[in-house]
Amino acid sequence: MSASVGEKCTKIKQEYDSCFNAWYSEKFLKGDATPQCDDLFFKYKECLMKTLEEKKLDVVLADARKDNPFPNASSSSSSSSASSTSSDSPKKD
Amino acid sequence: MKFFQATHTFDHSWAQVTAANWMKYPNEQCPHVVAVDVLERHVDPETGVLRTERLLTCNQNAPALVLKFLGGSTVSYVRETSELDPKTQKLTMKTQNLSMCNVLTINETITYTAHPHDESSTMFKQEAQIAAGSALSRFSSYIEDFCLTRFRDNAAVGRAGFEMVLEKLKHARQEATSQLEKATTSAVNAAAATAAL
Repeated sequence: MSASVGEKCTKIKQEYDSCFNAWYSEKFLKGDATPQCDDLFFKYKECLMKTLEEKKLDVVLADARKDNPFPNASSSSSSSSASSTSSDSPKKD
Repeated sequence: MKFFQATHTFDHSWAQVTAANWMKYPNEQCPHVVAVDVLERHVDPETGVLRTERLLTCNQNAPALVLKFLGGSTVSYVRETSELDPKTQKLTMKTQNLSMCNVLTINETITYTAHPHDESSTMFKQEAQIAAGSALSRFSSYIEDFCLTRFRDNAAVGRAGFEMVLEKLKHARQEATSQLEKATTSAVNAAAATAAL
């Protein structure tokens, strides 16, 4: 599994990857899009965001999104990133 | 501006290819990709499309001329956005370089589509536009040609690397299946032996 750009995020990133890969093949491709890895994703993202700020990549990414936006999850009802299980994390968008 | 296009057919189902796509790195054929991060990811609640935004960290070699413009840094970043529709069995990935954009822009689009007549294979299409920025107008043709050649080489190597990942996963699946068969056989034998007692 690949490393994270933030060395300290690699471990949690790989845990998230394992969860996602299993979810992708065993759930999503079989028609079940219920999120399963949100807790791990929030923890990973928290770490990643700090790294992006440190490396000033957050600014670069914001610029890139201006030209080529990444759509938000248009509804808060359900998505793989909108958490239904996580209690300690705010909605990530 | 230069254009690059390539097509290929992978002898693996779309499900296998797209699952492997998330596990493509690290792979020994592409040591320049040193990190892959997921920035955002969600399933569109209306369409069921899985959208992912990723950041790829690359450690690229570059010629001295290009390095001059990079200030000696060889780490570069690429943003990738993808849309994966499980209903139509199509994965579209777009990448753009985030580093040295004033020098060079590379926009790449890759699609993986299920083969319409053969569900055990997947069609791959890769297109790229390479354009040197105005900062390099004197050298733009040199830079574009250099990048086109590099891109073509990397694309072939990347495909070979991906084939290796696919084969590894196939072996892992076969191994798991044969383990399961062995376990099932011995369980059945044990049950039969018990029943026979």
